[in-house]
This record gives sequence, C-alpha cells and structure tokens, in this order.
Amino acid sequence: MVVALHMAFYLGSLLYVCAGALSLTYLWKGDSRVLQHGVRLIWGGIACLIAMFAIRWALYGRVPLTTLSDSLSLFLILSGALMVFITRRHNVSTLLSFYLAPLAVVGLVNAAIAHRYLTEAPMLLQRAPLVVHVGLAFLAYSLFFAAGMTSAAYLCHMSHIKHHRTTWLTRRMPSLQELDMMLSRLLLYAYPLFVLTLAQGLVWAWLDPSPLGPQWWLAPKVLLSFVMVLFYACAVHLRFAGMLRGPKLSYLVLFGFAVLLVLYVGLSLFGLRGYHFWSGQA
Amino acid sequence: MSLVAVGLSHHTSPVEIRERLGFPAHTLPGALLHLSKRLDKAGTVILSTCNRVEIYVHYAGEAAVARDEIRAFLGEWHKLPEEEFKDALYEHEGRDAVGHLFRVASGLDSLVIGETQILGQVHDAYIAAQTEQTADKVIHNLFQSAFTVAKQVRSQTAVGEGRVSVSSVAVDLAASIFGNLTGKAVMVIGSGEMGELTLKSLLAHGVQSVFVVNRHPERAQALAEQYNGEALPFETLGDHLHKADIIISTTAAPRTILHADHVYQALKLRQQAPLLVIDIAVPRDVDADVGDLDNVYLYNIDDLEQVVNENIEVRRREIEQCLAITERGVDQFMNWMGSLIVAPTITSMAKELEIIRERETQKTLAALPDLTEKQRYEIEYLTKRIVNNILKRPMTEIKHEVGHHDPGTVVHLVKRLFGIEESM
Repeated sequence: MVVALHMAFYLGSLLYVCAGALSLTYLWKGDSRVLQHGVRLIWGGIACLIAMFAIRWALYGRVPLTTLSDSLSLFLILSGALMVFITRRHNVSTLLSFYLAPLAVVGLVNAAIAHRYLTEAPMLLQRAPLVVHVGLAFLAYSLFFAAGMTSAAYLCHMSHIKHHRTTWLTRRMPSLQELDMMLSRLLLYAYPLFVLTLAQGLVWAWLDPSPLGPQWWLAPKVLLSFVMVLFYACAVHLRFAGMLRGPKLSYLVLFGFAVLLVLYVGLSLFGLRGYHFWSGQA
Repeated sequence: MSLVAVGLSHHTSPVEIRERLGFPAHTLPGALLHLSKRLDKAGTVILSTCNRVEIYVHYAGEAAVARDEIRAFLGEWHKLPEEEFKDALYEHEGRDAVGHLFRVASGLDSLVIGETQILGQVHDAYIAAQTEQTADKVIHNLFQSAFTVAKQVRSQTAVGEGRVSVSSVAVDLAASIFGNLTGKAVMVIGSGEMGELTLKSLLAHGVQSVFVVNRHPERAQALAEQYNGEALPFETLGDHLHKADIIISTTAAPRTILHADHVYQALKLRQQAPLLVIDIAVPRDVDADVGDLDNVYLYNIDDLEQVVNENIEVRRREIEQCLAITERGVDQFMNWMGSLIVAPTITSMAKELEIIRERETQKTLAALPDLTEKQRYEIEYLTKRIVNNILKRPMTEIKHEVGHHDPGTVVHLVKRLFGIEESM
C-alpha cells in the first residue's frame, strides 16, 4: 500500500510537471495538439493524486488533510480540474497554458517537500466539517490562483500591445477584453466561495470551539481572511460598477493573490503555530 | 503511369502572360474535358488564379508525351503561339509535381507566404474536376493529400500567423484587444485612402457602427453613406469620442488634433473600456501622450509597418519547418502511388513463388506416401509459412523503394529477380 501511495503521488506530480512543460511548448510552437496532450496529462495527474488521497484514507482511516503536501495535492487536484473546466466552458483554452505552467511548479515543490510529510499521520482536528471547510477554502484559493494568473496574462499581453511588440506569446493569447471578462468571472465565482468558507468556519468554531480554543478569532489567518473579504468586496464592487478594469484591476487582483499566498504559506513559514497551519499539530 | 504538373506563376511570368493563359470559370469545364480527352481520359485538374495557371495530369503513358500535349493544348485553347509563353512555363513530374502542389496548397509558393486564399482556390479547382469527372483515383488522392498537408502546415507552424498588410494588422490589433469585433463601433477622422481601407477590413470582421468625422461635412456625409454610418461635425469630435471602440485618424492636418485630455474624458464616459487608436496620418493626428493612458492602445503608421515586417519575418522563419511537413506528405503520397504501381508485380511475384512452392511440395509428398493426412497438412502449412516469410521483407522494401526511386526501374528489377514475364 505504501509503495502504491508513493507511486500515485510521484506519478501525479510528474504528470503535472509534464503538462506544464507541454503548455509552454504550446505557447512557443502553437501546435494545439500539444495542449490537448497537456490536458490529458493533467487529468492523469488528478487521477493519481485522488488515488493517493484514497490510499491515505484507507491507510490511516481518517481524512488525509494534515500536511502541507496534502494541502498542495488538494490544491493541484482542484485547480487542475477547475482550470480545464473553466477555460473550456469560456472557450479560452490558450489561457490554460498560462495556468498549467505555475501548477507544474506547485507540483514540483510538492514532490520535493513530500518526503518529509507524505506518510505522516494526522492530528486531532479530524471532524466532518473540516472536509467542507478545507474543500471550500481550496476551491476559493484555486479560483483566486486562476484569477492571479489571468491578471498576469492580462498585464503581459497588455504590455506587448501597448509597446507594439508581437511575439509568439501574444499571438496565442485571448484578447484583452476576454481576459478582463475572465478575470471578472473568476472573482465573481471565488468571492462568494471565500465568504462561505469563512462563514462556515465561524459557525463551526462558534458551535464547537474546543479544538481551537476560546481565542480562535484572534488567529492571524482568521483576521487576515476577514481583511481579504473586505478587500475583494471592494475589488468586485469597483469592477462591476465600471470604475475599475483592465490593468488596475489586474494589479489589484495580483496583490490580493500575493496576500492570500502569505496567508496560506507565509504565516506558517514565519513560525506561527495552530490548527490553521499545516505544521501545527498540537 | 505518370503524374505531371505544367504551369506558370508570378515567379516566372508577368501578368500580361498570365492573364492571356488564364481559364475563367465559365470556360473551365470545357477546357478540363478537352484536355482529358486529348490525353486518353487522363485525370486532369486546372488551377487558374490571378497569380498562377497550373495543370495537373495523371496520364497512363509517358510523362514527356503528357507535357508536350499540355503545352500544345495551352497554345491552341488560348490561340497563342507556344513560343510566346514557353519560357514562362515550369514543368514537374512524379515526386516534384506532388511536392509542387503541396507547396502551392500550403501557401508556400504564394506571393504572400502563408496566405490561405490559395487553399480555397485549389479546392475549387479540384471540385470543378470532380464535377466534370476528370479527377481519377490518383488525382483524388493527390488533392486530398494536398488539403491534409496544407492543414498540417497551418496548424503545426506559425506560417499563417500575423497579417502582412497595414489594414489587416489593424484588424488583428483590434481582435487582440476586443476579441470578437461584432457590435464594435469605429470612428474615422478624415478621409484618407488607407483609413477607408482599414475601415473596410474592420467592417468585414463584424464592426457594425461607423462614425465619420471630417472638416468638410460633405465628405463626411459621402463616406458615412457609403458605409451606412453617421456623419458628425468636426467641432463635436470630443463629444462623440466615447462612442467609438476603434478610432482611425487619417487627416491631412498639419498638427495633432486628438489630445490626451480628450481621450481621458472619453475613457471616463466609457467606464474605462479599452480604446484602440490608429493614427495613419502623416504628420500625426494623435498626441503621443494618448498612448500613455491606461486602456488606450495607440498605433501610428510606423508602428503598424513594424508589425507587418515582424510578421513577414516570422513567416519566413517557418518555411523550413513547413517544407519538412510537405516532404513528409510527399513521401506518404509517393508510397501510396508506388504501391498502386507495384501491386500487379507483387501479385505476380507471389503467384510465381506459389507455383514453385506447390510444385516442390507435391514432389516431396509424392516421395513420402506413408504420411498421414495431418502430416501432409503440416508440410503444406510449413512451406506456405516459409514462402510468406520470404516474401514479407521484399514486399515492404519494394513499396518503400518505389516511393523514393523511379517505379519503372524498381518494377523491372523485381521482375528480373523473380523471373516474372514482362507482359504480366
């Protein structure tokens, strides 16, 4: 079982890395078959990582969401599936290559750190609402990640057009207006999910505060999450009121994504401990 | 059996000759039937465009005969002495003819490398031949292969990417900013020829609303009427700027007429929706500061020409890769054609070996009368397996060789090797 677990995990990560490489090749060469192969590899990677989760569940008999590696794997599964789905639905498959390359980097990091975490077993916080809370949070993170990458694509494309440069990159990109629409849609999907995550977390903590302690609301992650809710509320409002679009919206979304990254990874790297951090087993 | 292409193009002849040798659509059916009949019902396709006139023939006899007949036909059909166009003609046969067609269909032989119009013209020529029933099995496969290769060239290389004229680059720019141009509005300031050309290209790509601004109201009115647009007084330019997604400025004004503050106000009214400003006037109409505004994309004539040059360069760089794709296509087609030519020889070769096998097996079986039925069957089966295994490699190699060398020589060699009668 342990061998199968490792095989599923490393094969999944490898498939993500290969998909990222193919997506870059597509941007360079423009052969759409290459991107199709990339999408197939992503589905393969998703299947492997789901298998890895299933094996861990079978091995430990509880929800296998305990380590940074688990979080990254969940993020890879959700992001991969969401990005393929969204880009197909909105007919901007070329944008997928902008998403897959960073996902490949995440896959690589995940594979590199996993040896420290992969077989570690769990902690006290193993309750049913955790799956809902983490699931919602990661769906929102995945969408914010896609929004961040779309912003980067927008700024890159805009800079090329603004400065009269035509390169292999601009020739494959969707139009600025399509990118702007995509960005708006992603914000519109991600924001309610993020709010729902927090609301569900609040209700859970209020009903059952024992694992988190009485001061749970003072945790930096919780506080910063509330700040981010306000931040994204402003961004969504300004966008849909027609006051903010194009490059300024893209910079704002990129900034928001950077803060989310700090919220998710950075705070733990700074040594903060608690149930909101993957290294915080009590 | 020979495959021949004879023709002339912009590479080899001036328009004065091309126009005299062209086949207008109404004369094409007659010409196809006439030439096909002249060459004993040979498979025939005539490709006639403004840049080339080419005849593709699949003839049962010698290639030289087909070439002579095509030349004579061209002269007789157009009532021109052969000497007047003989030097402009190029002639290809076999592999070269196939390669030429594949390059033509892929746009690699066109005046503008990578253009797509030619593929439609090749397709039309093929359909005309099919309608007149002058496209035989080889011609059918040849043209289907040409379409496949042309699509591969387009999808696997960047040869068709990027436009190569100023007006079409403007359309590309608009598409890279707005995506679909349906429903977009364009404002033309002035009445320059290039501006009108760009307007036409934009309208052909879905732009719907047209505003025309000119210092001379009658000129504005005339242009607006021509394109079903609205003429606006020059003095109100600033008030209407926000209505346009694309502005084309092409006046003869001695100094700039559109400034950053005008555009800034328009952007506010447009809720920061992007704006493409194409300034093709010399001297320039639009203040350079306009390009610094967020969501405004300003291109002057030099910028557009720079994009055109970059696109041409990209297409040139792709040619090698395109030629590799066409060569692969030629290999596949020649292999198929080779198998067609060599098929009767392979059948004869197999028959010849089967006769030997049968004769020798019967001799052996006659010498061994005590064998059971099963043993006799096993011996028969063994000899068949041996013959099949011996034949397997030569058959593959023969098919391969006829794709790369003269099929006649290969067939002759095989016949000599296996003692097959020449008449077979």
